[in-house]
Amino acid sequence: MIGALGRWANAKARDFSYALGFFFQVLKETVFFVRRRQVAFKVLVMQILFTGVEALGIISLIALSIGAVIIVEGGTILPKFGQTSLMYSILIIVIARELGPLLTAFIIIARSGTAITAELGNMVVSHEIEAYISVGINPISYLVVPRFLGVIISMILLTIYFDFFGLFGSFLVSQLVQPTSFSEYFTAILSNLQARDIISTFVKSLVFGVIISVVATFQGFRVSISSTEVPPAAIKSVGRSFVLCFLADALITLIYYV
Amino acid sequence: MSEFIELKGVTLTLGGHDVLRDVSLTLPEGKCTVIMGPSGCGKSSLLKVAAGIIPPDRGSILYRGEDLFWLTERRMAELRKSSGFSFQDSALWENKTIFDNLALPLQVHSPEMPHAEIERKVVRMLERGNLMDSIHFRPAQLSVGERKIVSVLRALIGEPTVVFMDTPTGTIDPAMAETVMGMIREIKAKGCSIVTVSHDRRIASTLADWLVVLIGGTLAAAGTFDEVKKNADPRVREVLSEVLGEIASFDTDLLSLLGDGGEN
Repeated sequence: MIGALGRWANAKARDFSYALGFFFQVLKETVFFVRRRQVAFKVLVMQILFTGVEALGIISLIALSIGAVIIVEGGTILPKFGQTSLMYSILIIVIARELGPLLTAFIIIARSGTAITAELGNMVVSHEIEAYISVGINPISYLVVPRFLGVIISMILLTIYFDFFGLFGSFLVSQLVQPTSFSEYFTAILSNLQARDIISTFVKSLVFGVIISVVATFQGFRVSISSTEVPPAAIKSVGRSFVLCFLADALITLIYYV
Repeated sequence: MSEFIELKGVTLTLGGHDVLRDVSLTLPEGKCTVIMGPSGCGKSSLLKVAAGIIPPDRGSILYRGEDLFWLTERRMAELRKSSGFSFQDSALWENKTIFDNLALPLQVHSPEMPHAEIERKVVRMLERGNLMDSIHFRPAQLSVGERKIVSVLRALIGEPTVVFMDTPTGTIDPAMAETVMGMIREIKAKGCSIVTVSHDRRIASTLADWLVVLIGGTLAAAGTFDEVKKNADPRVREVLSEVLGEIASFDTDLLSLLGDGGEN
């Protein structure tokens, strides 16, 4: 029993140190990415296109829906307590601070995280990674760094887009519930928005982007010999990204608001 | 005969199984080395370890006296630029066209090379492999044999001085195999060092200068073609007779009749 526990702890410690080494390798290669003028720039553009641009539709839909739900629910409940003025604070808290980064992260995990893990895992199985090594291409530099940067850039831009679209969506729905002028609505929103809201949203999207890209690429490279390892790797990638994003979200919120 | 790659006590473990066990051997420069052995004996792994693609768990690989896995980034880049590797399963990059599969090594090693020059080299190689019609195809659109040829072309496009090939004529039809054989003959004539895993009798009997026989992950024999043919180990003789057929079995039987069978 103690022996088994020891082996389990040893394996976990080894996995953790391996993951940490992978992360530092990614950071190191990211620093050299621009300097090396690598052909991987095309991979970065493609990653931003896939993770960022192609996700705009679903992000718009979800942001609009969330904004609408808050306006409808808030417009129904808050007047009962005489707290209608809290509507704008709730919009800022829910959309900008919390759901904006978190839901954007979930969409990226579901779309890009799984795709990255599956793609890299299949490349390992078909020896494409070894082929890159054989021609002198560092797989971290060529495959991981563009995905790392692409996911982070997309995550930040999509979060900003989500926030604007969520707030705009709530404005559109508010026209049905309680018509307000555009300037009045956004003046109230801006007056409730603090600098730390913007900073914490930015930090969250940055950290979530790092988590999603590193976990997805790491799990992809953990595949070793068989294509049957790819689906479990994708599942692990999703599960661990979710958990780490939740933990990071709680931690960042604690740091900024407690 | 100068040696350019030396393996010292190489052990490789994959999935808890020892694929290579304490393998020590030297590979001669400017010659064609053929690695033979029964299926699953670790030939492909040995080739990848010798090429520096997979690091061994124990032991070292010296490339012109320098430990391959301790080379500086610049030295490693030089080594990769001067070497090529053709994989058993082709290992083409599936998300790239055939043109890009061949162009990428040139783009990486010679970033200053104009696009027109890269295109000219890729076209010349594809014409050599009779694959010009497939230039804009993805690897999935090619047959197994065509993929194999593209893999060989990718290994050769940088005009390397060292080429590693894993069963270059395996699983392809005789005409395509002859195309690949022609390419190997050409690079051999230019003095290129070739290290190949092969079961092909024609490669072993007409191109091999140096034979390596691997059995169960351990080195059973290594030496010139004539030296290995004289090896009396029945396992080595079995491998040789399977690959070389009558050529090997006749010589070794004759030697044993002459009482020379116990010597290597």
